[in-house]
Amino acid sequence: MVAFTVDQMRSLMDKVTNVRNMSVIAHVDHGKSTLTDSLVQKAGIISAAKAGEARFMDTRKDEQERGITIKSTAISLFAEINDEDVKDIKQKSDGNSFLINLIDSPGHVDFSSEVTAALRVTDGALVVVDTVEGVCVQTETVLRQALGERIKPVVVINKVDRALLELQVTKEDLYQSFSRTVESVNVIISTYADEVLGDVQVYPSQGTVAFGSGLHGWAFTIRQFANRYGKKFGVDKSKMMERLWGDSYFNPKTKKWTNKETDASGKPLERAFNMFVLDPIFRLFAAIMNFKKDEIPVLLEKLEINLKGDEKELEGKALLKVVMKKFLPAADALLEMIVMHLPSPVTAQNYRAEQLYEGPSDDPFCLAIKKCDPNADLMLYVSKMVPTSDKGRFYAFGRVFAGTVKSGQKVRIQGPNYVPGKKDDLFLKAIQRVVLMMGSRTEPIDDCPAGNIVGLVGVDQFLLKTGTLTTNEAAHNMKVMKFSVSPVVQVAVEVKNANDLPKLVEGLKRLSKSDPCVLTYMSESGEHIVAGTGELHLEICLQDLENDHAGIPLKISPPVVAYRETVEGESSQVALSKSPNKHNRIYLKAEPIDEEVSLAIENGKINPRDDFKARARIMADEFNWDVTDARKIWCFGPDGNGPNLVVDQTKAVQYLHEIKDSVVAAFQWATKEGPIFGEQMRSVRVNILDVTLHADAIHRGGGQIIPTMRRATYAGFLLAEPKIQEPVFLVEIQCPEQAVGGIYSVLNKKRGQVVSEEQRPGTPLFTVKAYLPVNESFGFTGELRQATGGQAFPQMVFDHWATLGSDPLDPTTKAGEIVLAARKRHGMKEEVPGWQEYYDKL
Amino acid sequence: MLYLIGLGLSYKSDITVRGLEAIKRCDRVYLEHYTSILMAASKEELEEFYGKPVILADRELVESCSEEIIRNSDKENVAFLVVGDPFGATTHTDLVLRAKKQNTPVEIIHNASVMNAVGSCGLQLYNFGQTISMVFFTDNWRPDSWYDKILENRKIGLHTLVLLDIKVKEQSIENMARGRLIYEPPRYMSISECCEQLLEIEEKRNTQAYTADTPVVAISRLGSATQTFKSGTIEELATYDSGEPLHSLVILGRQCHELEIEYLLEFCDDRDRFKQDVLKDQQFFKPAPWVPPQEE
Repeated sequence: MVAFTVDQMRSLMDKVTNVRNMSVIAHVDHGKSTLTDSLVQKAGIISAAKAGEARFMDTRKDEQERGITIKSTAISLFAEINDEDVKDIKQKSDGNSFLINLIDSPGHVDFSSEVTAALRVTDGALVVVDTVEGVCVQTETVLRQALGERIKPVVVINKVDRALLELQVTKEDLYQSFSRTVESVNVIISTYADEVLGDVQVYPSQGTVAFGSGLHGWAFTIRQFANRYGKKFGVDKSKMMERLWGDSYFNPKTKKWTNKETDASGKPLERAFNMFVLDPIFRLFAAIMNFKKDEIPVLLEKLEINLKGDEKELEGKALLKVVMKKFLPAADALLEMIVMHLPSPVTAQNYRAEQLYEGPSDDPFCLAIKKCDPNADLMLYVSKMVPTSDKGRFYAFGRVFAGTVKSGQKVRIQGPNYVPGKKDDLFLKAIQRVVLMMGSRTEPIDDCPAGNIVGLVGVDQFLLKTGTLTTNEAAHNMKVMKFSVSPVVQVAVEVKNANDLPKLVEGLKRLSKSDPCVLTYMSESGEHIVAGTGELHLEICLQDLENDHAGIPLKISPPVVAYRETVEGESSQVALSKSPNKHNRIYLKAEPIDEEVSLAIENGKINPRDDFKARARIMADEFNWDVTDARKIWCFGPDGNGPNLVVDQTKAVQYLHEIKDSVVAAFQWATKEGPIFGEQMRSVRVNILDVTLHADAIHRGGGQIIPTMRRATYAGFLLAEPKIQEPVFLVEIQCPEQAVGGIYSVLNKKRGQVVSEEQRPGTPLFTVKAYLPVNESFGFTGELRQATGGQAFPQMVFDHWATLGSDPLDPTTKAGEIVLAARKRHGMKEEVPGWQEYYDKL
Repeated sequence: MLYLIGLGLSYKSDITVRGLEAIKRCDRVYLEHYTSILMAASKEELEEFYGKPVILADRELVESCSEEIIRNSDKENVAFLVVGDPFGATTHTDLVLRAKKQNTPVEIIHNASVMNAVGSCGLQLYNFGQTISMVFFTDNWRPDSWYDKILENRKIGLHTLVLLDIKVKEQSIENMARGRLIYEPPRYMSISECCEQLLEIEEKRNTQAYTADTPVVAISRLGSATQTFKSGTIEELATYDSGEPLHSLVILGRQCHELEIEYLLEFCDDRDRFKQDVLKDQQFFKPAPWVPPQEE
């Protein structure tokens, strides 16, 4: 640990070229937190004042009990790199001290939203992959997210000790396994990489891949070995790095390098990686684990490892740990990789700016972000809220992208719905305090310049979850984060004691703030709903709500699934609704939107806040939309950004623009609560064909148009082969061969569909991937454990919406049953109203 | 029989004799209660005066449940009372159409409406153009199509009667969109609010259909004991405290007879200035002087 005063920290933050903001991402149980710990122990910065008090990372109690990370935590690290290495850094830097802001994020898929929030404020990612398990579903998800945010990855292949001790692989097998893992990571990278980011594939020979064991505290990169051997052979380091990976062999007899597997006489040669890198490690393992007392001192001397007094007494695993830690300290390898290969804020913001900013890419704010200019107007993005010790209050956690944030500074707090020039979702308030987030502790500072991660006090009550802080009223918002998961599992909560209701309402507000992805709202029938991404996420949220945010006993309903309402055909006739005063009429038809378009809207590729011409271009070029239609999209819904559209297809209607707002307002609510059972609509496009209006504005106000548009939308919807969609998880299960049978039988019972079944090369493990309706997923983990004797652990992540083929209006079908049950639960009339209910005759 | 009966402007006794006689014959009496209010009489006073219970009909009842109003009207007599005239500013044509579809005979009993009583401000009804309504602007709904109508009126020199929005029993946008019947407290637009909205749209359009110096007349509580008139420029009236509702406003056109001006002078603060303002405003939209056709 490094003890620093706040002033020392603060001065490091000014040298932005020497700052690295990075997140650690991985599949659950691939050893992120253990690896992070070894970094923190070596280089974690704690404040000099508090250095005496132990515990650097106060994790939540439930995190320790469950052994998983739930919330992401930020820690600052300090690294000093020797002058020679500094020369090899391919971006601008200043001196050899580096400040690394590291965010350790959860690996469990249910908490992916935490990862998204972490990625937004960082520029680089350390991707941790398990040697044995390889690239898993969550590795792919987070990597895809990272690349989507233009974040540069480096990889560490972890748990190499397991491969050596448990699987007893040969050197060549291990090399092959490494190589396969690197390759599958690169496949993902090249699939999702952004053109602007350039080639960000990782190569061991360039030092962007490390190998090691977080548990034992050791790791290495090819670069380190190249350093060692470069001097010995008198070869240039970069050349040596090339030689130590891939098809490169050394012939000890001729002392020549070759790229052939055999020598002149056809005898097999040993791969250079195996010979120079793996060999010493294998020998150490073999000697120590086989208790060859006489061999050990010789080896240690050769490798220049000095043991201290009582360390010499150790043997077996304990000795191995100490020796490996001294031989290849994990922190050194990782810090070097991070500093050398991850971009500084200055480098990264140059290519990230236009993707981070909603406004035009040539306005002064975007340019300031590009330059990471500390003297420009403030541009700060708050990516999440971190609870303080003061109950119900939060630190706004975010990153300064331009300008400098100061305590007491007056800022504009712009929520996600803010539009420049308008006053919605906007507050003008002073920042009470600026703090440094150090693990669970904070240290107050006066100000914080562009490029750094920071916590703010006093803005939490003006922001729902995220937002932009700026000092200039012309500045647009920073782009809102898109999450890869959606809250598809929900429960209704009730207080046990009626007097506690206000506490519950307040608690729900706090819960919604504290988690980027949880959704809390009041349903039509007056129930308080909490929606999460999966059972585990929901469980944690409810636990927090009960014990912390609300602090009262709660009654919790069994979990139910969020459905969507959609259409499969075009309305069979034009839907007409008349306004209450009968002077205004709306004619429309509903039709489905292609799944690709819906997905593009959901992941932000088609963004309601983009310039309509640019958006129309994308929709025409990539999704075969008619350009005229695409330009005449009036709105997205629900909440202004969902995958349902209103398209104006009217011709020369007078006063049309004056009813647009009423139509938009009506569509938001109509899509939020569909006519079948009050679920959100999805993939519904409404074409307004014609409108007749009263000549005087007072007779075509919101009171006339809103109910009319709502009714017309419902009528058009019900005339267009209405269907319901259910959410489907992608389940990935790793297990030994004998458990595969059990998996299949449980999947069959649960309407699961197996997508693939593969054996991981070199291991006895099988990976089964399947689609499982979320509705069937409750209790799935338990049943699976039972059926496989506890050998199979599923990872479930929301994958897609599947349309149920049967007619939801017919209560005898599967879809109809779901609808009926939901309508009963919500206290609605049992029968779904027909289209005639919403239709007016001419 | 369905009677549509105008109640006049203000007093319970403004009703016509024929209208009162019709009410006495009726089995059910509805009072339309959302497009205007009767300023000097409450529901109870009306009930006492008519000797009959009166059912208040809100927008919901009239527009969405009109079947209830015309129920049995082929056998019984039903009165539908409208403040002002049944076919004045508000049009209840839909109700009449529905009644006719049921073959119910309909009788209309007219009365004074703001559309004709506005003459008491001294401006001649012959010189009025299209009537417009000024609605309450919201953050994102600021309709301005009425601006073109003022422009059209002013181009041919006509006055424009502006009816000011009232919201007696309206739902909020959210409740409306979700189809919930929860109502907001009543609101009435004041003269100053109306003038501010006029100025806002003129600034936005900037085509000088009128200017801040265009003369207007504010008419408050027309037909009641406290009726007042006030003339001045739009800018002056933007700070005018018009008092209790209801209000209307007239924007003057170029064709202003001298007698009209004389009448208006009674209502202004500074007679000379007002006269100057009117003359200045008459320069707008002046037709080009007539040039005799050239003889060939």
